[in-house]
Amino acid sequence: MLNLPPRISDWLLQLVRSQFAVAFLLVDGEQILVSTGGDLENYGLTGLHHRQPACGQLSFLEGLLPLEESPFLIRSLGMPGGRSADVHLLAEEGSTWVVLLDSTTDHDKTQKMQQKAYDMTLLSQREARLIAKLEAAHADLTSAHRELAESREALQRTHDRMQKELRDAERYVRAILPAPMTEPFAVDWLYVPSTELAGDSLGYHWIDSEHFALYLLDVSGHGVGSALLSVAVSQTLRSGALRDADLRLPEEVLGSLNQTYQMELQNNLYFTIWYGVYHPSSGRLRYSCAGHPSAILFSGSSEKNGVSTSLPGAGVPVGMLPNASYDREECTLTPPARLFLFSDGVFEISRPDGSMLEFADFEEALARAASNRKTELDEVLRMARAVHGNSILEDDFSIIKMTI
Amino acid sequence: MLQKKVCVLGSFGVGKTSLVRRYVESIFSDAYLTTVGVKIDKKTLTVGAETVTIILWDIAGEDEITPIRTSYLRGAAGYFLVVDGTRAETLEVARSIHTRVALEIGPIPFVLLLNKADMQESWDISDQPASALENGAAAILRTSAKTGEGVEEAFQKLAQRIVP
Repeated sequence: MLNLPPRISDWLLQLVRSQFAVAFLLVDGEQILVSTGGDLENYGLTGLHHRQPACGQLSFLEGLLPLEESPFLIRSLGMPGGRSADVHLLAEEGSTWVVLLDSTTDHDKTQKMQQKAYDMTLLSQREARLIAKLEAAHADLTSAHRELAESREALQRTHDRMQKELRDAERYVRAILPAPMTEPFAVDWLYVPSTELAGDSLGYHWIDSEHFALYLLDVSGHGVGSALLSVAVSQTLRSGALRDADLRLPEEVLGSLNQTYQMELQNNLYFTIWYGVYHPSSGRLRYSCAGHPSAILFSGSSEKNGVSTSLPGAGVPVGMLPNASYDREECTLTPPARLFLFSDGVFEISRPDGSMLEFADFEEALARAASNRKTELDEVLRMARAVHGNSILEDDFSIIKMTI
Repeated sequence: MLQKKVCVLGSFGVGKTSLVRRYVESIFSDAYLTTVGVKIDKKTLTVGAETVTIILWDIAGEDEITPIRTSYLRGAAGYFLVVDGTRAETLEVARSIHTRVALEIGPIPFVLLLNKADMQESWDISDQPASALENGAAAILRTSAKTGEGVEEAFQKLAQRIVP
């Protein structure tokens, strides 16, 4: 015991009563409310009935009685009148005292501090979650970037390999082209694919000691598929492996090619071709044409441009019609003369404004180059690039010049 | 009339008071007002042929400094364990409370509420919380004090378990 003097204990009691609005309830062992007192009105506890069950009137007692632990404290209990109370429960000889001390001031102060602390904590938790999400997004992005880089490297390797294979194929295609010749007459050519591999092909060879074949063909489309067919046709012509055809007769050659290379069996590819056979001792040139641009013959001295003659043909492209037949044309070449075979990519040149080069301009360029003692083939290529405005042309550029 | 004490427990800021207000008064406020101490509410409902008054103890949320007082659960017939679905850390707090209640009070029925279901875009927890909670819970429900989703159902589920 503190053994406080009566003056002090009286003062303390007065202090508690004035500051804490003391109220009390007494509940007996049968949980009946037997007594009440103090400032119950402060807590909104009015209309309580003695000798009635306590729990029905005081909800917070539900389940707590009889007390398992004494004293038992419920801090800051919200009371019906809106005040907060520290509720002390004390056991005494089977009964329970319930003492209410007003804690509203403490409750409000605690609530303000707690509110700030919780607001700050919630804010920092939200911030932490955002940072975690950002870090996860960054990690995902880094991973995606790495995967992208790996894919790009793989793609580059594939691209490099395909480029190498294309270059090998291009080298092969060029290797089977005949070398320029100067005797007993001159033959020269230019071959510039629009992509790595062209659908154009050209060639010439002696069929026998008296007959010289020359041809230029253009497979529909560009690229690998067209190139494969153009190489196959060239090899067929060069090896003379044609069925039922006299290689000296152009109309039979084209007819046989048409039988062999029907487009249904060639991935829907067809080709145009100009095929001629020159007989030097007589100067006779026999030729046939399958949908191909006409050859141009310049007769007479090149210094005076000569007289240009178109050597046309009227056949359909090879592979389009199973029963197509081809006419044989014939003319005589008298020295000096120049014969040009070419694909449509040589003169169908688009300008940057969308307009096209006129065929007459192309013909004029051939004639002008010769009179200026320039190589016609290089000059025509230079003109085509200048007209197009780009060194890469839209179509394959192939031309043969035979000079007698 | 039958009276049953039910406590509402969980970390701070998970929406315990909002759930009680939604259930008892059909009111919701977006403003967050922290609970100090204990608030008591009542609601009468029917379970089968039985009418029961639920005495709800809305107990201040647990934080790092102040754990909930499990002695407040004395005499409780069951409790709600409330988790904020947008804050995964509140699930850990719920697990911890559940363990302490089971140890100190015993295995009384509870319903796990994954609250704030209206904030789906910020959802931060799995639909399948830890098996320790799953196995003991009378039910696991997504709730929203804001929209009322799952609230009525949650109280019915717990009431069905605590009314004999």
